[in-house]
Order: sequence, then structure tokens, then C-alpha cells
Amino acid sequence: MTAPPAIACDHQQGCITCGDEAAPMRVVLVDDARALALCEDRGGARSSVEIGLVTPVSPGDQVLVHAGTALQMLAGEGR
Amino acid sequence: MRFVDEYRDAALGQALAGEILATVDPGRHYKLMEVCGGHTHSIYKYGIDDLLPDNVELIHGPGCPVCVIPMGRVDDGIAIAHQPGVIFTCFGDMLRVPGSQGTLLEAKAAGADVRMVYSPLDALRIAKQNPEREVVFFAIGFETTAPSTALTLKRAKAEGVANFSCVCNHVTIVPPLRALLESPDLRLDGFIGPGHVCTVVGARPLQFIPADYQRPVVVSGFEPLDILQSIQMILRQLADGRCELENQYKRVVPHEGNLRALEVLAEVFELRPHFEWRGLGFISQSALRLSDAYVDLDAEVRFSTPGVRVADPKACQCGEVLKGVIKPWECKVFGTACTPEHAIGTCMVSPEGACAAYYNYGRFAREREVV
Repeated sequence: MTAPPAIACDHQQGCITCGDEAAPMRVVLVDDARALALCEDRGGARSSVEIGLVTPVSPGDQVLVHAGTALQMLAGEGR
Repeated sequence: MRFVDEYRDAALGQALAGEILATVDPGRHYKLMEVCGGHTHSIYKYGIDDLLPDNVELIHGPGCPVCVIPMGRVDDGIAIAHQPGVIFTCFGDMLRVPGSQGTLLEAKAAGADVRMVYSPLDALRIAKQNPEREVVFFAIGFETTAPSTALTLKRAKAEGVANFSCVCNHVTIVPPLRALLESPDLRLDGFIGPGHVCTVVGARPLQFIPADYQRPVVVSGFEPLDILQSIQMILRQLADGRCELENQYKRVVPHEGNLRALEVLAEVFELRPHFEWRGLGFISQSALRLSDAYVDLDAEVRFSTPGVRVADPKACQCGEVLKGVIKPWECKVFGTACTPEHAIGTCMVSPEGACAAYYNYGRFAREREVV
């Protein structure tokens, strides 16, 4: 079963993709060659995220994600 | 989850509300503008305005990218969507934004292949899966979203995805803020700065607000405690007679921004000489288009569009709402002719829009006051 999209366009919650909102997500897997990472949001939903602007990242790091792109590193696990 | 839960603590929120009350001068009325639509939403969602003293008023700014899209651009998008063989992709909010001849959702109902995506990368994936079709991404957003589009265009170019193109409606935050500050009918005491735009561009570009217009600005996060603390920081500046750029959102916003993102933006985009904003009119150098190196991926070059300028509907007062001259409920058609289901103006369409946010959360508080 595919996971629901992590960034949902939910009218009651505000639209994360469209407005100036971003969500913290945790890095699960990193594909450095393609500059992509599999990330997990607060609810556990997973999606592919562009990591070219924040590399290097490692599993366990938290990044701020907007429209499928990590804009900033929040902190490493336990950092 | 870290970085979320600790910024929603109710007891700390109450304590901040107490500090705010202690800071304000009871004889003065304060008007603070939250620039960003994301803040507008947090303010209503968490009832932050209920925690503020009566003489601290929050004004909703122009920071919702959907709300400022003029009708003509929507019409152009719909014209492309109707061309044979096109798969037209956009964020969910855009689907219901009215152009002069209806919405993208109505174009979809009439047979156009319009699809909602969550990121530009999804649109590129659709292009790779459908090599025989033309896939167009309708890009909107401030500097927060522009890097996503830029990275996707770079990827499309590098991978040689020839059937992908982009209608670029990306806008920049500083020119409309300047236009607002120049507007004679505006009286504002301070600004809550757009945190996630600043994640990309840094806090530094907002320095002109205190330097040129003598108003305090505090770059703010989006959780309830972030916003309360930012309001307190603005009020503290006003009480001390200071006027500075401060950064409440230091855990995310570096003063210089994300340099790699700025490099990518400079490579893929260039400034348009002018761009039309709904309700605000034409503002020079306020939007982005694809640079010469990426002109092959520019849907405005690849497809012919009407490119007609369409006047905003007469009944709609989005312009005044965006400038903070009137509150959403003071608009002639708010909640009657204009609702989220049948929106006339864009401020009601996007959940980030001041009118939609107010319709969804704030109107109940007003009804309580009336009773």
C-alpha cells in the first residue's frame, strides 16, 4: 500500500504546498546520487524530498520541507 | 515531534499573553501586520487574537501567493490546459481560483486534463511517465516555493525531459511590502516577518522596513508560541522606542538565507520588469520568469496564451483586504455572495487567504460577540 502524500492540501489545516508554510520531517533514507531523500512527517506519512539545498543529510536528521524540497536543516538526531 | 510540540505549550502561551498585556500602553492602539498567509492561518487556528489585548490589532498582509494571482494569469493557464495533448499540473489551491471564464476545476470538468500535484517534482514525474504528452506545471509561490520549481527545472534540463514546461508565476515579497508601505491610506505600527520566505532569502532583505520606513519587523515562526513571542518582541521595541529587524525564528532562519537556494534561483530565474498583483495592481520587479538558459522550458514561450489583462470583479474588495484597509468581514460580499464554496475573490479561495481563514475560524467569535 502506498502511503498518503505527506504534504496534504487540507482546507482546514491551511495549504502547506501553496503558502509560505513548511513542515519539519525526519530523514529515513538518503539517495545522494539523485539528491533525494525519503522523509517522514509528524503523522508518519512518507514522501520523496529534494535535499540538494541542505546536503549532507543523514538518516535521523530533521529538515524543514516545503513543496517537496528541504529548505533548511533543523537539527541532527540528539544534536 | 521535536520543533512542533514544545511550541504549542498552553501554559507558556498564557505567560506570553500576560507579558504582552504588561508591555502595551493602554492608551495606544497598535496595528501589526502579519505578512504571510501561513501566519494568518495559525493566528485563527490557535485563537491567538483572542489572547491579545483589545488595543492590539492584527492586519493580514499580502503573503498568500494564491490570493495575489490576477484573473488574466488564470485565464492563460486554462487556455494552455485546453490545448490538445496537454497535462496541466498545479497545486490544489489553484484549481478553484476564478479566472474570467471559470476555474481550472471547471476546465477539468469540461474535459481538460488538469491534475493536482504536491510538488513540482511530482509534475516532472508525470512528464517522464507520459513522454507522448506535453506536461505543464503552473508554478506559484513566493521565494519559499521558487527553489522547488528551480530544482525541478534544473533536473528536467539535466535529464533532457523535453515534454515538460513551466508557467512561472513566482513572486517576490519585498516589492509588494514596499508598495504597501508607500500607500497613503495605511497605518501600521510593525510587521510580523514571513519566516519561511526568510529561510530562503534570509532576514537581511527586510532591513529596509526599519531603515526606510521606521517600523519594527520581527521574523517569526509559525507555531502559536512563535507568533506570540514575535508580537511581544514588536511591542517591546515600540515600548522602548526602538525600531529594528529582529529574528525570532533563529532555529530556521539564518541572517543571510540559504545561499545554495539563492544560487539556484539566480541561475534559473530572472526578474520580470513588472507583474500584476490582484488588488495591488502592477508592481515593478515583483515577479520571476525563466532565465534565457531555461527558455526552452518556458510554457509561456512554448504555448500561445491570450495574455489579456482582466479587471478584478467590482464587488470584490480583496485589494483593500490585502492592504489591511478593511477587515474580511467588512467586505460587501463576505460570507454572502463570496464563500469558500463559491468564491468571488482570491482571498476566499485559498485556505491561506485572510477571508477564508476568517470564514473558517474567526466568524464564530464574532457571532458570539453579537449574541
